[in-house]
Amino acid sequence: MSTFHLQIVTPDRMVFDGEAQKIILRTVNGDVCILPHHIDFAIPLGIGQAYVTDENGETRQAACNSGMLSVSGNEVRVIPVTFEWADEIDLERARRAGEAAEERMKSMDHQDRDYVMAEAKLKRALTRINTKEM
Amino acid sequence: MAGASMKAIKLRIKSVESTMQITKAMQLVATSKLRRAKERMENSKPYAAISREAIMAAVAQCVDPQVPFVTPREVKNRCYVVIAGERGLAGGYNANVFKAVAAHAEDTPYCVLPLGRKAIDKFQRLGVTLLDDTIGHVEGLSVSRCYRLTQELIEGYKRGDYDELVLVYTSFRSMMSQEVQVEQLLPIQKPENQPPRNVVTIYEPSPEEMLEKAVPDYLAGKLYSAVCDSFASEVSARRNAMDSATKNAGEMISGLRLKYNRARQGAITQEITEIVAGAEQ
Repeated sequence: MSTFHLQIVTPDRMVFDGEAQKIILRTVNGDVCILPHHIDFAIPLGIGQAYVTDENGETRQAACNSGMLSVSGNEVRVIPVTFEWADEIDLERARRAGEAAEERMKSMDHQDRDYVMAEAKLKRALTRINTKEM
Repeated sequence: MAGASMKAIKLRIKSVESTMQITKAMQLVATSKLRRAKERMENSKPYAAISREAIMAAVAQCVDPQVPFVTPREVKNRCYVVIAGERGLAGGYNANVFKAVAAHAEDTPYCVLPLGRKAIDKFQRLGVTLLDDTIGHVEGLSVSRCYRLTQELIEGYKRGDYDELVLVYTSFRSMMSQEVQVEQLLPIQKPENQPPRNVVTIYEPSPEEMLEKAVPDYLAGKLYSAVCDSFASEVSARRNAMDSATKNAGEMISGLRLKYNRARQGAITQEITEIVAGAEQ
């Protein structure tokens, strides 16, 4: 099967650098799936699960948060803020973070900037929990 | 007479020895920190390079001249993000950073976001407006902290508090050389003489909107990598400074030892002469 060169890089490390068959990501416009020889493409990412199928056809799941996706030639770059494989996720921590965010949201006005931030935090926590538990 | 100067020399030797112990210890600490700092720096580099490339490609395709992050404004006020050390004793590390800020600022009024105790103290003394004076410790600055800082910086930029955002940090070239970098973060400068690409990239929703969303992340990554770069530079600058201080102290001690032995010899010779002179009488 044909593959493309995939790099997944976060500010503090190179998460993945190698050949892949397929990647599914949550973008601001919904989920997209990138296959080999995709047209040049760039889009900001949302908060959601990612599925990476490597050259051996094995699919791994991850929680991916914000940043952007860039396809250029047969080079695919995922540049998220955070990216954690399912086995790296600390479930307890995600649960605590989610609960704390929910607690904060209760006492806040919906227009508040902090409310939006707490909401994003909750979303990140839920994504991590879903990724881990699936 | 000889006894008094011998005592003085002995005291000097002792004090130089204890200074040498301190410089030696600091050198060892810096050496052990250096490995981790370098590792962190290496890990932060790919993101900065890759995201920069992606952002620049989008900037080049921007048709709308009114994108806030790209369109230059008349510069009435600048903001510097200055990354310096927590402590001194690192050769010219801190001073070089401050010199670069002064040289770049010229007469334009500016405010500063100082990172590192030394930077906070310096700009407080100068009476410059500080955006935040709580980050004295650069070593463990986390990615998420960099995100929050960037968010505040961008808000200030959008409000018009400053028309240019400039990052001043030290780049680690090698163990022996670290170089101060002055980099304009906002507005993003369009890359010059870029070869025209005949491939059309699809931007969703549009290049402008993508920049709006992706630039904050890019800047946060850039800030984080500059912090890691600076810290590695600081530690290696300190290691070098302490290394030469230890060597100098060693040289001083051997010089003083020589002087001490001469004085001792002189005192003994004098005593013998006195005894002999007494016996002859």
